[in-house]
Amino acid sequence: MTGQTRSIAPLRPAPLAVLGRGDAARRLRTLALLLPAILLALLFLYYPLVFIVQMSFTEGSSFLSPGGPIATLANYALIGGRYLPNLLVTLQLALLATIVDLIFGFPFAYIFVRKVRYRTPVRALMVFPMFGALYIAFGMRFILLPGGPATPVLQALGIASTDALFSLPSVVFAMSIFTFPFMVLNIGTALGNVDPTLEEAAACLGARPWQTFRRIVLPLTRAGTVAGALTVFGWSIGTFAEPLLLGSANEQRALAWTVYQRGVVQTDYGLSTAMGVVLLGVAFVVTYLSLRYSRGALVE
Amino acid sequence: MRSSPALPASPLPAGSRPPAAARRPRLSSRRLWDALSHAYIWAVLVVFILPFLALVGFSFTTRPGEAGVVTNYGYVLDTFGDNLLWSLKISGLTLLINTLVSLPAAYAIVRHSFPGKRLLFSVLTLPLYVPGAVIGISLVLTYNFTYHLTTSMWGLVLAMALGTFPLMLTPVVVALKDLPVIFEEASACLGATRWQTYRRIVLPLIGPGVSAGLLLCFIIVFNEYLVTLFVHPPGLTTAPLRVFNQIRTAGLAPTTAALAVTMQLISLAAVLLFFRLFGARHLKGTYLL
Amino acid sequence: MSTVRLASITKHFGTTVAVHEFDLEVADGEFVTLLGPSGCGKTTTLRMIAGLVEPTGGRVWFDDQDVTFLPPRARNIGFVFQTPALFPHLSVAENVGFGLSVKGARKAAIASRVEEMLAMVDLTGYGARTPSQLSGGQQQRVALARVLATDPRVLLFDEPLSALDKNLRESLKFAIRELQRRTGKTSIYVTHDQSEAFAISDRIVVMNGGRVEQIGSQTEIYLRPRTGFVAEFIGANNALPGTVVALEPVSGTSGQSGEHRFRIRSGELTLSCRSRLPVALGDAVVAYLRPEDLAVVDDDGAEYRNVVEGEVERVIFEGPTAQLRIRVAGREMRVDVGGSRRLTLTEGDRRVRLGFDDLNVVPADTASADGGSGGSGGSGGDGSAEPVSA
Repeated sequence: MTGQTRSIAPLRPAPLAVLGRGDAARRLRTLALLLPAILLALLFLYYPLVFIVQMSFTEGSSFLSPGGPIATLANYALIGGRYLPNLLVTLQLALLATIVDLIFGFPFAYIFVRKVRYRTPVRALMVFPMFGALYIAFGMRFILLPGGPATPVLQALGIASTDALFSLPSVVFAMSIFTFPFMVLNIGTALGNVDPTLEEAAACLGARPWQTFRRIVLPLTRAGTVAGALTVFGWSIGTFAEPLLLGSANEQRALAWTVYQRGVVQTDYGLSTAMGVVLLGVAFVVTYLSLRYSRGALVE
Repeated sequence: MRSSPALPASPLPAGSRPPAAARRPRLSSRRLWDALSHAYIWAVLVVFILPFLALVGFSFTTRPGEAGVVTNYGYVLDTFGDNLLWSLKISGLTLLINTLVSLPAAYAIVRHSFPGKRLLFSVLTLPLYVPGAVIGISLVLTYNFTYHLTTSMWGLVLAMALGTFPLMLTPVVVALKDLPVIFEEASACLGATRWQTYRRIVLPLIGPGVSAGLLLCFIIVFNEYLVTLFVHPPGLTTAPLRVFNQIRTAGLAPTTAALAVTMQLISLAAVLLFFRLFGARHLKGTYLL
Repeated sequence: MSTVRLASITKHFGTTVAVHEFDLEVADGEFVTLLGPSGCGKTTTLRMIAGLVEPTGGRVWFDDQDVTFLPPRARNIGFVFQTPALFPHLSVAENVGFGLSVKGARKAAIASRVEEMLAMVDLTGYGARTPSQLSGGQQQRVALARVLATDPRVLLFDEPLSALDKNLRESLKFAIRELQRRTGKTSIYVTHDQSEAFAISDRIVVMNGGRVEQIGSQTEIYLRPRTGFVAEFIGANNALPGTVVALEPVSGTSGQSGEHRFRIRSGELTLSCRSRLPVALGDAVVAYLRPEDLAVVDDDGAEYRNVVEGEVERVIFEGPTAQLRIRVAGREMRVDVGGSRRLTLTEGDRRVRLGFDDLNVVPADTASADGGSGGSGGSGGDGSAEPVSA
C-alpha cells in the first residue's frame, strides 16, 4: 500500500550500468590529459634523481663512463670528512639568511598587511629580487667595491671596505634580499587570516602592544611564519651566485658551487652526485616540515 | 601643567612622511609609529632596488679608453645580442611546453575525479622544492649518459620546463577552481562539444590565470642562470649565464651591468604589463603576492 | 517536441541511494513538475534526463530514442539552471546565439534567430549588452531565450526562480508557463516551492528521499494524497492516526467509483472515512483532515458525516482567515475559518462543534516519522504558524 506510481512495463530490461561505456572512456581521457605532465616529471625529474642517487655510490667516473660497478660509500665519507665545511657553510648561510628574513620580514609583512594602502607600487618593487639572486649579487658587489659608492659610508662606520665585500655578512645580506618576498608572502597570508578585531579586543582589555603581539598575533601566525622560514631555508641551500660573487674563500665552498666544480668541471660524478643527494635530503626534510605546517591544500 | 586634549590621529597621506618641522611639538605615539612603519617599508623597498639602481648607475659609466654611455647599451645589442636572443627563444619555447603540459593536467586535476589526486599534485609540484644544483647535476648526467641531449637546445628547454611548470600549474588550477562548473554544463546542454566548450568558454574565462602562470614562468626562465650553467649545450649561452661568466672572467664591467639592467628592465616591463592588463589578484598563491 | 520516458531510473552515490527506480511518462508538450524537499532526488533525476549525470540503472527515452548514455550535447535539450549561467565574456546576443554557433549555423541565420528569441522574452534591443549589465530577472530571461534558440525537444528547469526575489518569482513563473504553452515544448520542472508547482504544472510528481510519493494533478495531490508525506508536505493538514474498526458495504452511490467507506477509531474518536485503496479490519491508517474542511456548526451538524466537539485554545487572526487551535478529545486540531466566525470565536470557548465529511486516509507506514503535523511543507504554502501535532 505504498504511494502508487503509474507503473510502466519497460520495453527492455534495465541493467544496472555499473561499469558502463562512460567510465572507461572517462578514465582514458583523464590519463591522456595528465600524461604530458607525468612524463615530463618522470623523465626529467624522477628518473634523473634516481640516476644520481645511484651514481653517488660509485667511484672513478669520467666524462665517458659513469664509474665503477662497485657500490661504495666513499663519496659520503668524503662529504662527512673533507667536505664537511662545505656542508656546514651551506647550512650556516641558509640559516642566517632565514633569520635575517624573519627579523626584517615579519614587521614588513605586518605593516604591509595592516597599514599599507598603496599596494601596487610596493608589489611592483617587490618583484625585483625575484629576477634572480645573480643581479642582486652583482649589484651589491659593485656597491661594495673599494672605491665604489659605499666606501664613504663604510668608512664613516669604521669598516674597511675590503672587509665588507668578500665576507659572510654581505653574502647573507644578498641571500636574504632574494628570499625576502617568499617570507613576506607566507607571513602576510597568515596575517591576513588573523582578524584585526582580535588585536583591538586585546587592546581594549588592557593589553599593551607588545603583549598583544606576543600572545595573540604570534601564535596565530605561527603556521605561516614557520612555512615561510622553511621555504626560505630550502631555497637558500641551493644558491651559489651570492657566495661566489660576494663571499670569501670560506663562503665559496657552498655546496651548490662545489657540486658544479666537482661534477661538471672535474667530472667526479660520484662525489658531486653524493653532494647533490645530501642537498636533496636536506631540502626534502625542510619541505616536508614546511608542508606539514602550512594549511590550505590546493587540491582536495 | 595644562595637558592638551587628545587629538584624533589624522590619516597620513598615502606614501608620504610629513616633514619633521611641520609636526606638532607633542607627537602622539600613534602617529610616530605610523610614520616609522611607513618609513620602514620604504627603507626595505629601497634596499630591494638598490642593487638594480647601482647597476644602472654603473652601466652609465665608461671605462677609461672606451667611447661613451650609449655605446654600453649598443655593445649589449652587438655582443650580447645573441645571448639575448637565445634567452628569448628559450623562454618562448619553455612557455609553449609549459602551456601544453599544464593546461590539460590542470583540467584533469580540477574537473576529473580519480584516486590519489593530492599525491599526484605533490608529485607534479615537487620540482619547486628541489635545489637548482641538484636538478642541474642530475640532468646533466642523465643527458650525458642516457638521453644524449647534451648538444641539443631542447635539453635546456626541457630542463627549464621541468623547473617551472609547477609555477604554471598552480595559477591555472586556481583559475579553474574559481570557474563555476555550471558554465561548462550550460555549454554542453546547448550542444557544444567538449573541445568547443573548452576553447570558447573555459579558456577565455581562465585567461588571466593562465597569463599569470606565463608571466611567472617567463620571469624565472628569462633570468635563469643556475640550472642553465649545468645543462646548456656548448655554444648556447643565455644572457644571464653570460652575465655570470663575464663577472667571473672579466670582472665587473659597465657593459655587463648594462646587460643585467636590460634583462631586468625587460622583466619589469613584463610584470607591469601584466598588472596593467589583469590586476594583481591572479597572482595569489604564487610568490608575487 | 518529444515524449520523455523514464524506466526505473536509479542513481547511487556510493552507498547512498539518491534516486530509486523512478518511472515516469511525460506526454508531448506536457509540463510536469518534480516537487519535493531538498535532497529528495529531484535535481539528480533532472540531471540524469539531461545527461549531466549518468544513471546507475534504468533508461531514459526521448520518443523512441534511448538517450541514456548520450552526452548532453547530443540530446537536443534546453536546460535552465538555478543561476542564469550566462557566459560573462559574451554579449547577450552571443549568449543567445551560442547553441546555434557551435553547430556551425551561418551568422545571418543566427542573428535573426537571436532577434526572434529576444522578442519572445521581451528583451528586444538588449543584444549588445553584457550579462553584468542586466538584473537577475533579465538574466534569467536571457537564459530562457538562450535555451529556446536551439529549438530543443525537451525543456528542463532546475529551480530557475529560487535565486530571485518574491515579486520577480511571481511574474516570471507565469512567463515561463506562457512560453512553454506557446512553443509547445515538453517540459520537466524541478522546485521545492509548492505554490510554484501548483501554479504552472499539468502534473506534479511529489518526491521524497529518492522515491516517488505520488504523481497526479494538483487537485488529486491536494485532495487525495496517497501517502502521509504528500498529505503533510502539501498544504497544512491535521493527522489522525487510527485503526480500521468497521467496514461499510460497498454501495454504488457512495462517492466516486471504486471508493468505499469505513470507520476508524482514533483515540476516543470514531471517524467515517473513505478511500480508493483496499482496507481491512485492523489496518493501521492515518486519517488526514485539511483545516479548511472543518466547519464550525451551530446545530447538530447532521449534514456532516463526522461531528466532534472541542475547546478553542488559540485564535490566530490572519486577516482574511483565522486559524483556530481546537482541542478535540485530547488532540489539538487546526481549523481555518473565514467570514464572521473569525471574530465570534475566542479562546476558551467550549463545546465548539465541528463538522466534516469522510476523511481521506493513508497507510500508517507511509506517514512521516515525526507523527503528523498541520504545518505546510516547502515554502510558498499558506505561510501559517507552527505545526499541529495529532
